[in-house]
Amino acid sequence: MKTTKTIFQDGNHKWVAIVRDPDRPDFLIDTNEYLVTHGSQGLLLDPGGAEIFPAVFSALSSEFDPLALIGVFASHQDPDTCSSLALWLEFNPKMRCYVSWMWAGFIPHFGGSAETFVSIPDEGADIPLDGLTLRAVPAHYLHSSGNFHLYDKAARMLFSGDVGAALLPAGESGLFVEDFDAHIRHAEGFHRRWMGSNEAKRAWCERVSKLEIDMLCPQHGAIYQGTDVQRFINWFDELQVGVCGG
Amino acid sequence: MDDRTNFGPAQASGIAWAQQARNDLLRIVRINEEIKAIVGVAFKINIMALNAIFLAKRAGTAARGFGVLSHELRVFSQDLRDSMVGLTRLIHACVSEVSHVLQDIRQTRLLHQAVESSRDGRLVEVLAERESRNAEHAQHLVVLRKQLKRALDDAFQLVELGGMLAKSAKIEAAYGQSFAASLAQVSGEFDGVVEEIRTSLEALRRSAFFTGR
Repeated sequence: MKTTKTIFQDGNHKWVAIVRDPDRPDFLIDTNEYLVTHGSQGLLLDPGGAEIFPAVFSALSSEFDPLALIGVFASHQDPDTCSSLALWLEFNPKMRCYVSWMWAGFIPHFGGSAETFVSIPDEGADIPLDGLTLRAVPAHYLHSSGNFHLYDKAARMLFSGDVGAALLPAGESGLFVEDFDAHIRHAEGFHRRWMGSNEAKRAWCERVSKLEIDMLCPQHGAIYQGTDVQRFINWFDELQVGVCGG
Repeated sequence: MDDRTNFGPAQASGIAWAQQARNDLLRIVRINEEIKAIVGVAFKINIMALNAIFLAKRAGTAARGFGVLSHELRVFSQDLRDSMVGLTRLIHACVSEVSHVLQDIRQTRLLHQAVESSRDGRLVEVLAERESRNAEHAQHLVVLRKQLKRALDDAFQLVELGGMLAKSAKIEAAYGQSFAASLAQVSGEFDGVVEEIRTSLEALRRSAFFTGR
């Protein structure tokens, strides 16, 4: 089973990371799921693949009433982000899936009905959560052509999907980045290959540099906090991406 | 969470169930391939029957009986094709239902695992609903299996009739005077083709999809 770790809390406003399943088979890439709660509602960010649904569900339900989830936010269309959707909907058919308009016709292949999907336009959108406003921030081509990150201004948290992701070797499973220089080596190859556009990367770096961010939370690997957030943005800004091999 | 190394009784029966569904899919695909071959042969009979009708016309009164049987064989080939269309429709319905069952198995396995690892009792109700839908799919497959078996039996009866027509044509060919040799060759070909279809259908009726063995 995965473990939960509250990474932000202010009264009934919380961010919970659902991470590190010791029983996960090696052939499945490890993923981080994040639960944002405010008041009586919750939103699950990149709920994960179908195969890890049992681990995510049981961890989440130990922390929060899963029936109070209003929906999931899918940063993009990959199976590791949201192929568990059908199972979540079996539990609560009223849940919505917030996703780029580009994938609103593709993700239903994982499950859901016409009512399930809330399409996010390219420029982004606000997502209400019991009085709190979350913002879907454009991150197109990083890596998916229709890609969003989720910014919580009140908590100063940014869920950054695959940006900031690192493929950590066995034994390095810390939740937070502790040694930026050592950690970023595990992120470099991933970013060079998975991120397809230097132009899009530049635009994203400018966009998020204007946001106040205490934690940058990727879907894989460790969370960047404090000064490491800006260090990461600067590092990413300088990295040549869209590179295969070499 | 790896079902190969860590499963309880529910998962164990789920694995057997999944194996059964995969076998079913394989068997249906084989039945479908055989039906496709029969459809091709049925088309050949139609052409053969047309040629036989022309031959009987040329032979005149000496091949009147053969001509009547050739017409009947042409009707038979059309009936056979209609029968194969019906079988194909049923096979597609079976493929679709087995695919549902395979999907059910995966969803059920994951829900079972979630129930076992979670303390949320409401998930048990979700699992019960899922299992009730699974039972509906399984029941629908049972009905389709019976319909397919019945349709194969009907097709087999039809082909038995075709076999009798072909054998009668062989007898009639003997009265064809100077055309007797040509008529005998055509009726012999009919008989061979119909026998080929009969053998295929007989094998399909014994398919493990119906017997479970």
